[in-house]
Amino acid sequence: MDYSKQIQEIASKLFAENKIDYFVGYKQNSFDDSQVPFLITDPAEIPKLVFTDRSVFNLANYLKPDHTKRKRVGLVVKGCDSRALNLLLTEGQVKRENVYIIGVCCEGVLNDKREKAQNCVECVMPDPVVYDEMLGTPSGKKKYTVNVDIKELAKMALNERADYFESIFENCIRCNACRHSCPLCYCAKCCLDQETSTLYHGANTSSGAMHALMTWSLHLAGRCVDCRNCEKACPSHLPLHLLHKQNENVIYENFQQHLAGMEKDDRGAFYKYSLSDPDDFIL
Amino acid sequence: METEVKEVKEKIVSVENPGITAPNGWQPVIIGILCNWCSYAGSDLTGTSRIQYPPNIRIIRVPCSSRVDPWFIIKSLQTTADGVLISGCHPGDCHYISGNYYARRRFLVTKKLLNFVGYHENRVQFSWVSAAEGPKFAKVVAKVTEDIKKLGPLYRYKKENF
Amino acid sequence: MNGFIIETDKTGLQKFYEEIIGKFETYAPVEKFGKYDYKKVSKLGECDPDSPIEMTMSVKPLFFPKTAKVMKFKEDNTGTTVSETDEDPLTGQRVILGVKHCDARGLQVLDQVYKWDYIDTDYQKRRKNTLIISTRCNKAGTQCFCTSLDYDVENSDAHDIRIVNGLNGKIYIQAVTEKGETFLKASSIKHQASASNATEELSKQYKSFESSFRLKMNYSEVNAKLQKLFDSPEFETISSNCIGCNTCAFICPTCHCFKITDERIKDTGVRYKSYDSCNNGYFTLMAGGHNPRPVKYRRWRQRALHKFVYYKERFGMNLCVGCGRCAISCPVNISIFDVVNQVANV
Repeated sequence: MDYSKQIQEIASKLFAENKIDYFVGYKQNSFDDSQVPFLITDPAEIPKLVFTDRSVFNLANYLKPDHTKRKRVGLVVKGCDSRALNLLLTEGQVKRENVYIIGVCCEGVLNDKREKAQNCVECVMPDPVVYDEMLGTPSGKKKYTVNVDIKELAKMALNERADYFESIFENCIRCNACRHSCPLCYCAKCCLDQETSTLYHGANTSSGAMHALMTWSLHLAGRCVDCRNCEKACPSHLPLHLLHKQNENVIYENFQQHLAGMEKDDRGAFYKYSLSDPDDFIL
Repeated sequence: METEVKEVKEKIVSVENPGITAPNGWQPVIIGILCNWCSYAGSDLTGTSRIQYPPNIRIIRVPCSSRVDPWFIIKSLQTTADGVLISGCHPGDCHYISGNYYARRRFLVTKKLLNFVGYHENRVQFSWVSAAEGPKFAKVVAKVTEDIKKLGPLYRYKKENF
Repeated sequence: MNGFIIETDKTGLQKFYEEIIGKFETYAPVEKFGKYDYKKVSKLGECDPDSPIEMTMSVKPLFFPKTAKVMKFKEDNTGTTVSETDEDPLTGQRVILGVKHCDARGLQVLDQVYKWDYIDTDYQKRRKNTLIISTRCNKAGTQCFCTSLDYDVENSDAHDIRIVNGLNGKIYIQAVTEKGETFLKASSIKHQASASNATEELSKQYKSFESSFRLKMNYSEVNAKLQKLFDSPEFETISSNCIGCNTCAFICPTCHCFKITDERIKDTGVRYKSYDSCNNGYFTLMAGGHNPRPVKYRRWRQRALHKFVYYKERFGMNLCVGCGRCAISCPVNISIFDVVNQVANV
C-alpha cells in the first residue's frame, strides 16, 4: 500500500491553486522505518510526504481547534481516521469548507512489532466515510467481531480481573498523552485537567489514575473509533483499548449495532436514544 | 421485598477483597442520586406517609437523571460510598421529555464497565420511581441496602485517606 | 575519583547482586507491559539490571516521586493547623541496581537546583541514603547522544559503583566514590585472579560503546549559537506537530517542574506535590487570566533553551543528559536533538 506519489501530486496541486494553508501528512522518521505526522506550509517540503503501511498516527488529531484554528487544511485519512473526522464535522469542531480530505482505502497498518495491528485485524470500515478525493478501491464494511482481549478478560473471575486492572492503573503517570493524542478529545479545559479543584483529583496517585481513565473512557464511549492513538502515545504502554473496546461492545450489542462515525451526520451513541433500549437492569 | 433489613448474623466479607472482613457493627453507606421531579418527590412522599426505610442512604438531588455524569458514580465509590443508587422518572414521564431515555443508555454502559474493571455488579443500581410511588421507593432502598450489606464494605480502588 | 577494580564473571556478578538484595532495600528495573520501571525487588529473578535504555524509565521517581504528600492540614474555628504527614522520605539505606550513566549524571545535575534557593530536605535525605550501582551500556540506543554533551561519560563520578561488561567476556566492578569503595570492601565479592589488565579492558569497552552512537553533535557550538537565537522562526516549524501531551517532561531524568494540589474531606486534608510540565498549555496561566506562553512554539522554545542554555548559564551543567527517552516516548517522535540542531544550524 503505497500512495506517496499520488499524495505529493495532490498536495502540490492544492498549494498551487492556493486552496489550503496547511497540509498534514506523514514523513519518514529519522531513525527507523516508522512514520511521524508532518505539517507543511511550504510547498518545498512536499517531496518528504509518504504514505505506506507504517502510517499509523490518526491525523484527524491535528484538526482540533487549538492546532489549526480557522485555517484551511488538507489532510490524509484512512478509514478509522475518517470516522473520527466525520464526528468532528458533525460536532461542529471543523468547518467542512475549511478542510480538503484525501481518503485512502486502507489495507491495515503495521504496529511496532511489524505485525498487522490488532485494530486493523478487527477493522469494520477500511474505506473513508467522508472525502474529497479517494485513493484505492473501496472494499466495503466488514463484519464486527468482539475484541479478543476483552473476551479473555470477561472469562476471568472478578477479583483476578480487578487485580489486573489495578496493575494498569498503578503504572499510569497521569501525563495526559492519551487525551492529547485522541482526535475526539477537544474540550478546551478538560474536566480531568482541573488541577486546582479537589473534585477532580489532580494529584498523581493510582486511585486518581483509575478515576481519570474510567471517566475519560466513559466520556468517549459511543464516539471512539478505535484508532489506537492513545495506546501508541502512552509512555507506560498501558492497554487502554480494553476500556474503550468494552464500551464499544456493550453499545454495539444493545443499541442497534451502533458504531461511531459511520454515517454522515452521525453523532455518538449517547446523543440519541431508542424507545426500545434495554432497561431490565433497572429496578 | 420487605422494608426492613434483616440483621446479618454471620461475618461479612468484602466481596472484592475476600481477605478483609467488615468491622463489627458496620453499616453500608449508600449514595442516592435522585431526580428532582419524580424520585425525590417520591422519596418525600415515603417520608410523609411515615413508611420506614433503612437510614443508610444519603440523598443528592439533581434536576434530571440525565444530569448524572459517570464520574459522579466513580467518585462516590472512590470516597465514602459502598454502593450507589440512581433513580429517575419512568420512561415517557421525564419532566424534560427525553432525559431519562439518554440516561438509561449511559447507565447500562457505566454499569458494565464498572463490573469489567472489578466492582461487583450490585454496587451500582438504578431505578425508576415516580412521584406517587412512596412505598416503591422504600422497597427499592431496602433491596439495595440488603444487597450491599451482603457484598460487604468496598475496599477496591478507594482513594487514600478514605 | 576512580578506585580499585574487581574482575569477576557472570556468576560472580549474580552472587554480588543476590547478596545486595538479601542485605539491603534494593531497587532494580522490573518489566511491566514492555517497559522497565525501578521497583523494590526481593529476588534477582524479578528484575533485569541490564535492561535496554530505550525501554527503561528513569530513576528520577525514586528521588522526586511522581506524587508526594507535603503536609496535612485541619481547619477549625481557631484557624488552620498544619502538621507533618506520616510519609517518610526514607531513613534507611537503599541500593539501586542497573542505573544508566545518563540517569546518574541526571541526579548530579538535579542536585544543583535542589540546594540552590530552597534546600529540599526530602530530596537530600534520599540522595544521602542511596547507593547507586551503574551498569555501563554495551551499545548506544537509537536516540542516545550522551557522549556529545558536556560531561565525561567514561570517567563519570555520578554513581558509586560502576559495572562494565568487558569485551573479553569478563565483568568488571569498579568503585568510583568513597562510599562505593567502602561498600565493595564490605561485600563478599572476591577478585578472580587473571592475566588481563583491567583498566585496558575498561577503556576498550568504552571505545566500542562510543563508536556505536548514531547521533553526535558539537555541543559547545550549539550552546553558543542558541544563546543568540531566541527569536528564531525555526522554533515554530519544528514544534508544529507537537501535541502538547506532557510525556517528555514526565519521563525526562532531569525535568523537575511540579504542581501542588489539595485533597480535602470537609475540614481536613492533605497537600500533594505531583509532576507537571512546562509544555502544558495552562502551565504559565496566572490568577487573573494572563498567560505569557499561550502558544505552543513558545513553550517548546522555553523547553529547548532551558535544557541547553539557561541551566548551563546558572549552574554550569547542561540540563539535558542525552538519554533520548523524550524522543522515544513522544507520540510523534520529536527529538530535542533534532530541535536544537535544526535551530542552531539554520
